Amino acid sequence: MDFAHILLVSFAGGILALDATSAGQFMVSRPLVAGVLTGSLLGDPAQGLLVGALLELYLLVSFPVGGARFPEGPTATVVAVASSLATPAAGAVPIAMAVGLVWGQIGGWTITGLRRLNGHLVPEPAEAGAGPRRVVTAHLGALSLDFLRGALVTVSGVLVGGYIVRATVEAWPISASDSIGLILVGGAVSLGILLRSLGGFKRRKAVFAVGMALGLAVVRFL
Amino acid sequence: MSTVLPRKSLGSVFARSFLVQGSWNYHTMLGSGFAFAILPVLRVLSGGDRKRLDASVRRHLEHFNAHPYLVDLALGATIRLEADGEDEETVHRFKAAVRGPLGSVGDSLVWGSWLPAVSLVSLASVWMGASPAVAALIFLVLYNLGHLFLRIWGFRTGLREGRSVARYLGMSGLGAWTERLRFLAAGLLGLAVGAILAGEGGLADAGPVWGILSVVAFVCGLLVGHRVWRPTAVALVSAVALLATWGFVV
Repeated sequence: MDFAHILLVSFAGGILALDATSAGQFMVSRPLVAGVLTGSLLGDPAQGLLVGALLELYLLVSFPVGGARFPEGPTATVVAVASSLATPAAGAVPIAMAVGLVWGQIGGWTITGLRRLNGHLVPEPAEAGAGPRRVVTAHLGALSLDFLRGALVTVSGVLVGGYIVRATVEAWPISASDSIGLILVGGAVSLGILLRSLGGFKRRKAVFAVGMALGLAVVRFL
Repeated sequence: MSTVLPRKSLGSVFARSFLVQGSWNYHTMLGSGFAFAILPVLRVLSGGDRKRLDASVRRHLEHFNAHPYLVDLALGATIRLEADGEDEETVHRFKAAVRGPLGSVGDSLVWGSWLPAVSLVSLASVWMGASPAVAALIFLVLYNLGHLFLRIWGFRTGLREGRSVARYLGMSGLGAWTERLRFLAAGLLGLAVGAILAGEGGLADAGPVWGILSVVAFVCGLLVGHRVWRPTAVALVSAVALLATWGFVV
């Protein structure tokens, strides 16, 4: 990946990180969408969709709830998609996914750090100088820092991820379909957790079964 | 006596509400974001009196939290209270009373129901063969229809109802909508599972061993819940690292 593309995906990482919590929350930052966007920026939207959809399976049960500590989906996705495109080979997707998940965790820690820093940036209600100008400056400053944080986490992840994929992918010992199978096993855990949080199997078994039959039928007959 | 507020100021508050979480912190949470968002209206209400403006900004810097989409409901209602000339204590008590419900209702409605439901539609479309652009657009359009509706409804309802918004929130049936959405999401979860099982590049292509392991993993998630998520992610990263190392050494 050349310098211009690294710069481009870092900028995308910063913008997507903002969308996750600080600005808008239009959920362009969800892995599936962020994956397609990153793939498109790097010339391979199909690979972006594959990696984004697999990460979406994992992060389906991870939501940006208030002060909750969660892996950061958008930077994880940008890092995973960019790393998976470092070398086209069977092992690129699982290795990039693993790097993405680790980077998502690192991204989550940096969010915690930034929120602590924000506590020092924003004016106290009792502070004498806490006027409109101070509030606007602190708020826009915190937004800028979040963009910078997202971009830095992304660029470091893309560089490290690309290196790891290039160094290990040739020796990857299992086929592409087995690699996807391995990832889907992990994703199945998230789907089970989601069914539990939607009411559990006993309460939802009928509608779940109808949905599954419909899904199988659509894929089989359409 | 209610002050008539210019549409431009109200529009500006609504636009700023999209940035309300920009300075989220563990001390005042959304407090500074709330003050930032409501500022255009406070400027109008202060009538150019700098001291009055500073004092009202400081009042709104206090601790506040809510779901980011339902914060528009609180902003609208607070604007109405301020425009009606309610005293500081009433505004403070109102904000303290609604922050809990606006957080819990929003979390279960949006993060716990709407977001997973729309994500599952989009995920199912991927294994049904949708192109990258179509899969992404399905998610973005569907999700943001609900997102923007909730924000606009909240802001307008808040402006109209003022302090009655807490009672209105109870009568609006958001709890019933959450339950309906969770029912629908369970069906969409089945749809996505069916598509992943039989779709191109899904478990059918990966082979029966991965299919059986996936069923075991699904049941594990169903029985244990969120506690098993982090160990799963760690297990995947470890398995990939082991395979990569093994291939490298052998």
